[in-house]
Amino acid sequence: MSKFTKAGLGWGRSITLCAAVLGSMTANAELFNTGKVLATGGVSMVDGAGGGGITPWATITGYATRDGINGDLHYTYVFLPDYQLQSLGGAMGFWDRFELSYTQSILTTGGTYDTVGLVTDTLGADTGIEPFNTTITMDVYGAKVRVFGDAIYDSDNLIPQIAIGAFYKENKNEELLTTLHAEEADGWEYYIAATKIFFPFNTLFNYTLRYTDANQTGLTGFGGPNSDGAEFRSELSVGYLLRKDTVIGFEWTQHGENTHGSSVELTGLDVGTLQPVLELAGLGDVSHTLTQRESDWFDAFIAYFPNKNFSMTFAYANLGDIVITPDQHGFYLSLQASF
Amino acid sequence: MKSFLRALTATAMLSFAAAPSFAQTGETATIPSLDSDVIEQWGGEEGIRNWVEGLFYYIMLDNRINHVFRDFGNIERQIFLNTQLEQMVLGAGTEYQGASMLAAHADLNITLTQFNAVVEAAYNSCERINLPYKACNQLIAALAPYKYDIVTK
Repeated sequence: MSKFTKAGLGWGRSITLCAAVLGSMTANAELFNTGKVLATGGVSMVDGAGGGGITPWATITGYATRDGINGDLHYTYVFLPDYQLQSLGGAMGFWDRFELSYTQSILTTGGTYDTVGLVTDTLGADTGIEPFNTTITMDVYGAKVRVFGDAIYDSDNLIPQIAIGAFYKENKNEELLTTLHAEEADGWEYYIAATKIFFPFNTLFNYTLRYTDANQTGLTGFGGPNSDGAEFRSELSVGYLLRKDTVIGFEWTQHGENTHGSSVELTGLDVGTLQPVLELAGLGDVSHTLTQRESDWFDAFIAYFPNKNFSMTFAYANLGDIVITPDQHGFYLSLQASF
Repeated sequence: MKSFLRALTATAMLSFAAAPSFAQTGETATIPSLDSDVIEQWGGEEGIRNWVEGLFYYIMLDNRINHVFRDFGNIERQIFLNTQLEQMVLGAGTEYQGASMLAAHADLNITLTQFNAVVEAAYNSCERINLPYKACNQLIAALAPYKYDIVTK
């Protein structure tokens, strides 16, 4: 609770700052800047920060150089066999030095969840799993500061652009998180990112180290039976610059095992009661079906920047085993509008 | 932070000072180095000159930056010297006879936004002369470190 209040205060201050900046914007039109070269602002990653698809980069979002400020809005849609993830948010970049972001992720579930939800609902258990479209909503607030380096123009040394950042994530479906054995519904994540483009072979590299105890980026909570607090996890993006407006590449993010191997907690029900019903519903061995798993995430993407006001990213996402549903791979689309 | 950057700059300047003509602008040592056949990719010295003409065509059409070049004066000579510079940084063995990048831009108050506008003109010119994007990026890599000499505001 105290954590929550602190975050609230921090964001109150940020909003005041935003208001101040917007106020002075009308006074000085030149503050607004779109001076970055096409595509070099990156796209919006799923947590709302500037970066790739699932990894925050050291680049500051938007098209402003150090001469001004700029921002963008994004909508991301991920279609997986048992889930649909939608993320809608906005971000501002200030003097190519720091960025603030907010995004709301809405994860709707289907398939296995509907079956489990139908059964548990029929038996009168409060699991947070509904008979249809169990939904998880999560607010993600982000901030990032570029510390030093120039990802683009430092072609005669190996020093990357370095940024540090943080996310505060607040998951709204606490009931479901209890069912899934997560310790917390909200959590902080901290990261350091290094980004560099090597123009002689048209390739961008990004490495991010994130300090977190999130389960499935926080969509299924933070911490769990196997967790002893936050840990460092690696993330990697490699992009090949195909044209000045097109980048292809892949990403990998390491995930934890906080709830890996633990079954879901079905309050007030012993598995003996549940087993025959679930078998009847075609779910077979209940202890196997209801065992949670978590895998690293991969994606392979193509990002297209027709102009500085709009970009589209298409990706194949392989998110592996998610909680009680295996082999979640599917399609990722992200649209970004810059202003 | 500032002192760290200053240390980096000082190191960079020292390594330049080691070269015999430190007042002059020399070839950039990119990491990794440019393709060995980069001059052929560019269509030789003639191809590089075509590109510079295209570059100035797009610069003079861009209201964000054309006044800077117009005020500097003698566009023909700027094209001539730029051709030498680009031929030199791509390794054609041409001697660059102009003022150093630092000296030439010292009083111009060039912003990063303006520098980026020239980079956009550079890509437009590459497309205009049908140069493949990856060949174009060889020159972008070779010119990129001049940002520190050119952008003073």
